[in-house]
Amino acid sequence: MEDAALWFVIAIALAFDFTNGMHDAANSIATIVATRVLSPRLAVVWAAVFNFVAFLIFKTHVASTIAKGVVEQDVLSIGVIFAGLIGAIAWNMLTWYLGLPSSSSHALVGGMVGAAVAKSGFGSVVSSGLSKIGVFIVLAPLIGLALGFIVMVIVLQFSQKAKNVNRLNRGFRKMQLVSAGAYSLGHGGNDAQKTMGIILALLIATGHAGADSDVPLWVVLSAHTAIALGTLSGGWRIVHTMGSKITRLQPAGGVSAESAAAATLFFVSANGIPVSTTHTITGCIVGVGSIQRLSAVRWGVAGRVVWAWILTIPGAALMSALLFLLLKPF
Amino acid sequence: MDQRALFFMIAAAVAALLTTVIDEALRYVPELVAVTYAVLAAASYLDWRTNKR
Repeated sequence: MEDAALWFVIAIALAFDFTNGMHDAANSIATIVATRVLSPRLAVVWAAVFNFVAFLIFKTHVASTIAKGVVEQDVLSIGVIFAGLIGAIAWNMLTWYLGLPSSSSHALVGGMVGAAVAKSGFGSVVSSGLSKIGVFIVLAPLIGLALGFIVMVIVLQFSQKAKNVNRLNRGFRKMQLVSAGAYSLGHGGNDAQKTMGIILALLIATGHAGADSDVPLWVVLSAHTAIALGTLSGGWRIVHTMGSKITRLQPAGGVSAESAAAATLFFVSANGIPVSTTHTITGCIVGVGSIQRLSAVRWGVAGRVVWAWILTIPGAALMSALLFLLLKPF
Repeated sequence: MDQRALFFMIAAAVAALLTTVIDEALRYVPELVAVTYAVLAAASYLDWRTNKR
């Protein structure tokens, strides 16, 4: 019976990964679609391929943080993880429906925390892990914004020396294929690992893996497959918000934003920090957009994004906590 | 006042505040971010002043 429940929750974790891909991975292609370098259909395939192959590049530090660094391991059970996942998925679906680019990653962390607190109180939360994630909620977009701004300054300096503007633009369009691929690698490397972390936590909680175990290869491959399939299914409402409503991007801006986001995601993944890819790319786009003047950024839309960030962890936590309490009698 | 410089100064202050709540192993990250934003704020202000003349 416990094995059936375990496989059921693993299936839900992979479904969460799928929704994560659908919800977040659309950001991978926002700039490449906005600058018309690729059609939406081709851009989605491009992003999905790089999402999948990310497992060849990144170690599983982020997965370890999710499995061992958010909630005390003795509190984790199939019921807690189930409630956490369903709360996070419900939050994702609500924000997806509303067209808000909220963070699947923080929904997951919020869901786990909410269910754990409902079971065992606030002592069940690993405060150092949660504070690290909390700090990077703010830091990730700030790093992205600064990098986006700096890369754009360098790109503009380079562009001013060019004599043939059309040729330069064509060059940037080709470079965007590389930068979008790099960003999708970073995205796959960070986001797919959150699901790996959940599955690893499940395996540890049910005794199928030791407390110090690494992520099994089948978990790595299934998580990357799920996120790539989610990316393939698309998330056009959010692509539209991210790619054209925050600020208008040219190919040079797209290259700068994606390169900055890729660098940020590579850094945080190497340090085992789960961040929101949505936060990161939004920061980069704002950084690129603010190169001329701050009024080039549509702060109203960026403000909606910030509200989604602020509400995500408490919202998902509340949903998961309620669900856990509802299911507790069973 | 240059709005962008002001925005960068606020970002530098936020990053500096975050150095107080992060683990020591990762403290260099908000420190570096704060310094970067302070430099960007100064550069942005100088750029604004130059363009204004």
